[in-house]
Amino acid sequence: MNFKSLGRLFSVLVFPLVLTSVLVTGLGMSATVSAADGQTSQQMANAKTSDADLWRAVKAGDSGFTTAQGVEANVLINVVGNQGTIIKNEYLTPAMAVAVLGVFAAFLVFYFVNGPSKLSNGFSGKMVLRWSKADLILHWMMAISCLGLILTGLIIMLGKHFLQPYVSDGIWAAVILVGKTIHDWVGPIFMAAWVLCVVKWMPMQTFKMYDLKWFLVVGGYINFGPFKGKHPDSGFANAGEKMWFWTLTIFGLFICVSGIMLVLPGLELPREASMAALLIHASSAIIIIAFTIVHIWMATVLSEGGIDCMKSGYCDENWAVQHHNLWYDEIKENGTLEYKD
Amino acid sequence: MAVMKFLCDTKRCIECNGCVTACKNENDSALEWGIQRRRVVTINDGEPGEASISVACMHCTDAPCQAVCPADCFYRTEDGIVLHNKDTCIGCGYCLYACPFGAPQFPQKTAFGSRGKMDKCTFCAGGPEETHSDAERQKYGSNRIAEGKLPMCAELCATKALLAGDAGIVSSIYRDRIAARGNPGAIWGYTPQTGA
Repeated sequence: MNFKSLGRLFSVLVFPLVLTSVLVTGLGMSATVSAADGQTSQQMANAKTSDADLWRAVKAGDSGFTTAQGVEANVLINVVGNQGTIIKNEYLTPAMAVAVLGVFAAFLVFYFVNGPSKLSNGFSGKMVLRWSKADLILHWMMAISCLGLILTGLIIMLGKHFLQPYVSDGIWAAVILVGKTIHDWVGPIFMAAWVLCVVKWMPMQTFKMYDLKWFLVVGGYINFGPFKGKHPDSGFANAGEKMWFWTLTIFGLFICVSGIMLVLPGLELPREASMAALLIHASSAIIIIAFTIVHIWMATVLSEGGIDCMKSGYCDENWAVQHHNLWYDEIKENGTLEYKD
Repeated sequence: MAVMKFLCDTKRCIECNGCVTACKNENDSALEWGIQRRRVVTINDGEPGEASISVACMHCTDAPCQAVCPADCFYRTEDGIVLHNKDTCIGCGYCLYACPFGAPQFPQKTAFGSRGKMDKCTFCAGGPEETHSDAERQKYGSNRIAEGKLPMCAELCATKALLAGDAGIVSSIYRDRIAARGNPGAIWGYTPQTGA
């Protein structure tokens, strides 16, 4: 992969995925980018004698000799970072705004049209042990650090569009500095929580055949049409939870690694790597934030009785039967079922 | 209203690094250890076609640093000079990634190895603080523009290779030089087609 052109990298990765309909435009763009960046071998040979070709070589990132110290001090021009800036400003920043407002609004509408997922038999009052104390601590450690990172990250990414125009310079400077500082220091807490959660919960998150059927009825959360009243099979974690887990595992890895690359200047990374880390960090954040909003909606208002699991570690017996029937059957059978006193 | 630009005449630059020294001396009050706002790069060093170019912030019209900055601390003066506010800068380093010329600099020796406030060439135009105040001197260095003078690097260039000033005037000086030299191809990528 030619890493010299982020624009080309981006068009290779994203255009086929998202914009198949404008694939032709995508290819057209990559072709233009190639023509502007590349030099023919003849031009490279001429660079010693032709000023025009020397200038072209400098623009393409040729390095020279300098007494200056510092990363890439001997490179006169490197346009990769600017290509990354354009990608960030034109695609990722709007995508982030859509991810936050769009997903929230979509769920709000869904909630009002569809209503919450009620327990068909109401609350039984008998509470079944679902999460250990260690699980609760891990969850809230990750949740609080993640929310802190999301809020400060949104200030860093969107603040200059949504907040700065409405406050004084002094307030803005304080907000963005505090935001960035918190983001830097909460990051390691999130990383620790992320590693522990991934390792501890991974055994419960393997995909099973019945998870496919869960998707076919959208988890049984839809209260109208052919989906009404369906309660698909599900083990300890349902297919949606498993998808959330693996999304957070994969993009959490991306966001942790790219975050380390961004926050430690002592690494002295070249601009290509730093800008790539910035774009990966932002893209992963968009996906994680969108999923986080869904997760919070599901737990707090959509699934009746759902929030109890993470408040006390115990869930209502009817909730367990309705949403995690296979798990309930299993613990009942092997005797590990534990009621709250 | 002017549009301030630097231009380095590669046929005159002799890689003496006088501009680098002039800059460091003039803006010494603002420069923390390890920061060098200007540098000279020699392409094809020691080979035929050797060319030296002095480079610092190019004061872009559509500056990538300004576009990428999450704190939005950059601004353009009415002279077309790109400046930044160190009180708003959060030291994230994005401008360093975005700048094609490697102009933004960060102090290397701060607590826990984090980045300090960004520093870069100000075209000797100071910063947002009150002109010629102590605060301006400590944070941004000199403000020669306010005194009606050009940047120290260009003023002290022994061969007058480094030109600074309004784009129109700089390019007309350069055009005169090319005409006087009568050497086609001296301007990067431009070979005049007129004349014998």
